Amino acid sequence: MAMTSLRATGLRKTFPGVVALDGVDLALHGGSVHALIGANGAGKSTLIKILTGYYDAYEGQIEINGRPVAIRRPADAFRAGIEVVHQEVDTTLVPYLSAAENLLIEQLAAPGSGLFIRKQALYRQAQQIVDELGLEIDVRAQAADLSLPQKQLLVIARAVSRRAPFLILDEPTAALSIRDAERLFEIMRELKQRGVAFLYVSHRLAEIQEIADEVTVLRNGQKVAHFAREAFDIAKGVEAMLGTPPGELYPKRQPAAERRLVMEVRGLCWGARLKDISFDVYQGEVLGIAGLTGAGKTELLRVLFGCEQPDRGEIHLNGKPVRFRLPKDAVRHGVYLIPEDRRNLGLLVEEPVRMNVTLPFIRDFSRLGFMRPSKEYARVLQLMDRLKLVPRKPDLPAKHLSGGNQQKVVVGKWLFGAPVVILFDEATQGIDVGAKRELYAIMRDLARSAAVIFASSDIDEVLGVADRVLVMRDGQFVGEFEAEQADRQAVMRLAASTVHVRS
Amino acid sequence: MFKMKFPPLAQREGPSLDLGKWLSDFFLRYGLILTLILVSLFFSLRTETFSSLDNILDILRAVSILTIVALGITFSVVVRGFDVSVGAVTGLAVILSTALMVIWQVPWYLAVLICLAVGALVGLLNAFLIIRLRIPDLLATLGVLYLVQGLQMSITKGDAVYKGMTNPWSPTRAIAEGAIHPDFLRFGQGFVFASEGFRGIPIPVLIMLGVAIIAFVFLELTRYGRIFYAVGGNSEAARLSGIDVDKVRTIAYVISAALATVGGLVLAARIGSGAVKSGDPYLLDGVAATFFGFAVLNARRANVIGTVLGAVFVGVMLNGLTMLNTAWYVQDVIKGLVLIVSLGLSYYTTRR
Repeated sequence: MAMTSLRATGLRKTFPGVVALDGVDLALHGGSVHALIGANGAGKSTLIKILTGYYDAYEGQIEINGRPVAIRRPADAFRAGIEVVHQEVDTTLVPYLSAAENLLIEQLAAPGSGLFIRKQALYRQAQQIVDELGLEIDVRAQAADLSLPQKQLLVIARAVSRRAPFLILDEPTAALSIRDAERLFEIMRELKQRGVAFLYVSHRLAEIQEIADEVTVLRNGQKVAHFAREAFDIAKGVEAMLGTPPGELYPKRQPAAERRLVMEVRGLCWGARLKDISFDVYQGEVLGIAGLTGAGKTELLRVLFGCEQPDRGEIHLNGKPVRFRLPKDAVRHGVYLIPEDRRNLGLLVEEPVRMNVTLPFIRDFSRLGFMRPSKEYARVLQLMDRLKLVPRKPDLPAKHLSGGNQQKVVVGKWLFGAPVVILFDEATQGIDVGAKRELYAIMRDLARSAAVIFASSDIDEVLGVADRVLVMRDGQFVGEFEAEQADRQAVMRLAASTVHVRS
Repeated sequence: MFKMKFPPLAQREGPSLDLGKWLSDFFLRYGLILTLILVSLFFSLRTETFSSLDNILDILRAVSILTIVALGITFSVVVRGFDVSVGAVTGLAVILSTALMVIWQVPWYLAVLICLAVGALVGLLNAFLIIRLRIPDLLATLGVLYLVQGLQMSITKGDAVYKGMTNPWSPTRAIAEGAIHPDFLRFGQGFVFASEGFRGIPIPVLIMLGVAIIAFVFLELTRYGRIFYAVGGNSEAARLSGIDVDKVRTIAYVISAALATVGGLVLAARIGSGAVKSGDPYLLDGVAATFFGFAVLNARRANVIGTVLGAVFVGVMLNGLTMLNTAWYVQDVIKGLVLIVSLGLSYYTTRR
């Protein structure tokens, strides 16, 4: 087997006024997984874009198997055998085509593939690929009907099936359950045997420890560290990413002065999604809800926020029964939601930060219906300072912010209100360690005057931040722990139920 | 306030400032306005009458109805909807108002009120189909377009309305005895502030200005406008911010139909009779004006100033071309080209 290798040297890419990547070297070898980590804005995406031919103009050399190649267009990358699985899978699937058609789309589009599509043959071929990889995807289903993890696996399967020698995976597990992630790692190990070279980008340092053979750390566009597999551990990774010793990731728990019951939920049922959910939450605490993707956490929070109507059950707020028909009813009662998927559900990406954060309580920034720009600016700047939201420009469109700062915008818009219960749904997905630490601190801070419910599929962070943890599986609560005494393994086992969990 | 919404591009990109970039930013923001000035200059040099005050007011009067209808469309586009029923609603107002006065001898002010109420109902119907039944906006309003057009013709059994027409509903085919009241006609034909040597300002222009100013204040200066733009920006995020998105969209469709009705009333007053389907051209021209507006100040979204300038731009072009004796069938070609070029410039250059 010829040894495949890719060696990039001195990669440098500048944008007006910004150096996105500053002379980075990187080498990929067949049969090896090279992990790339770094905070948001460290230059990971820029590096991937260079390797996939997204940019025409950049400095540096790329050699494949010792021969220099020019990668200036996506077609160049394709010819060089570089495949990429992007983080946002929806943009790479055609929603109204079947999974099989999406999987084999290249073949369908190839010249000489014939005028008519032979569906049965197509399904058979697609089924074969899916079976070979051990995935559970209905190849006849429309791509739009697949769940997010299934879409993610489909895109990975497509990249794998093209048999490219170089495979770039950008946050492939962000949407995957533990089981699916394990399956992905098995696939990767198999492909390593066959000599595939991986570039693996992820924020989840634990899985990097599990899968990576070497780790490169980027910070501010520069390569700041490189570890061999044996030399890497999570603490070192975090330190290299942040440039300072990590300190405590999770804020200190503070015993609440008074534990006042603010919300009681009794017997909440919603189809097969929520089954007889009952719990209490107190002011002064962070209540964690741990569970795998698809366990029903999002559904529960959406019901509590009035986005969905439960079939049965009662919610009491400060002792009085409430029923939220719309989110606006919840907002009026001080129940706020930070939704998962901030780009699609949390933000007006084209609009300035200012407009995003003042939206829910816009009445407070107007008089007789007219906006009061000076008041708005002043209070938005105050908020930005409080949340350390950078850059400190109220007129910057939200899409130009890093993931962590975008999330601060989504949280920040509720801080102009009077929170009673704040619901965080997967609030730290896809943001870097530094921003995570700040968000945890914000949650803790909010818990002093309100009740915070924090749902996440990252069991470590739930145990680290929450005071009390409810474990959710298949739409119901299956356990409750005091976070400080909880055993990670036990919570994991409970959340995954009969599924065998290795770690 | 209006300016704050469009911070200079150079500021967003960082400290670098080179002439080429500055120039391209400048043309993106002011391109359409500049073109408007240049086109006007060109026409006034080529023709003697173009730049006279009377001609300017004539142009404004000619685009007043279009502007009013286009502002309605702008509201639906702001909340990221689309309303293709406006032309038919304009036509309905023309027939209904004149028929009420001529056939049924309803006092003119009552006829106006009835038309506005019917227009608002059509808006509610659009909203119901789109929001409750979840029919895509283009399809729902297309259905309503046919419905309203049919209704329009059913009012008079397909006849045009004019003084002395035979009453289509009379078993004896009697002559309709009503007439269109002169007070009503003033809305389309009247002038105010006339003085010696000055014909005065056409009332339709005043109505247009009134509607434009109210729309501008509403969308740019009030919190309601902020909410409208938020719903258009990302309706799901707006809903999760506690906005009653359905209510906002309903209001937008009602405004759209109501302004189409106002346009139709002015049109009826202007021509003094009711021709069937007379509102149809306002749909396409109104959509064009709204999308021209995307390019003004490089807003890349529907906005009041853009729509007004877009409508005026269409009017100036048509007026100037007519004065240059350009054949009528070439005018649509030019309209299409200008729309494509101005939008193309705005979107293509910001893509990079």
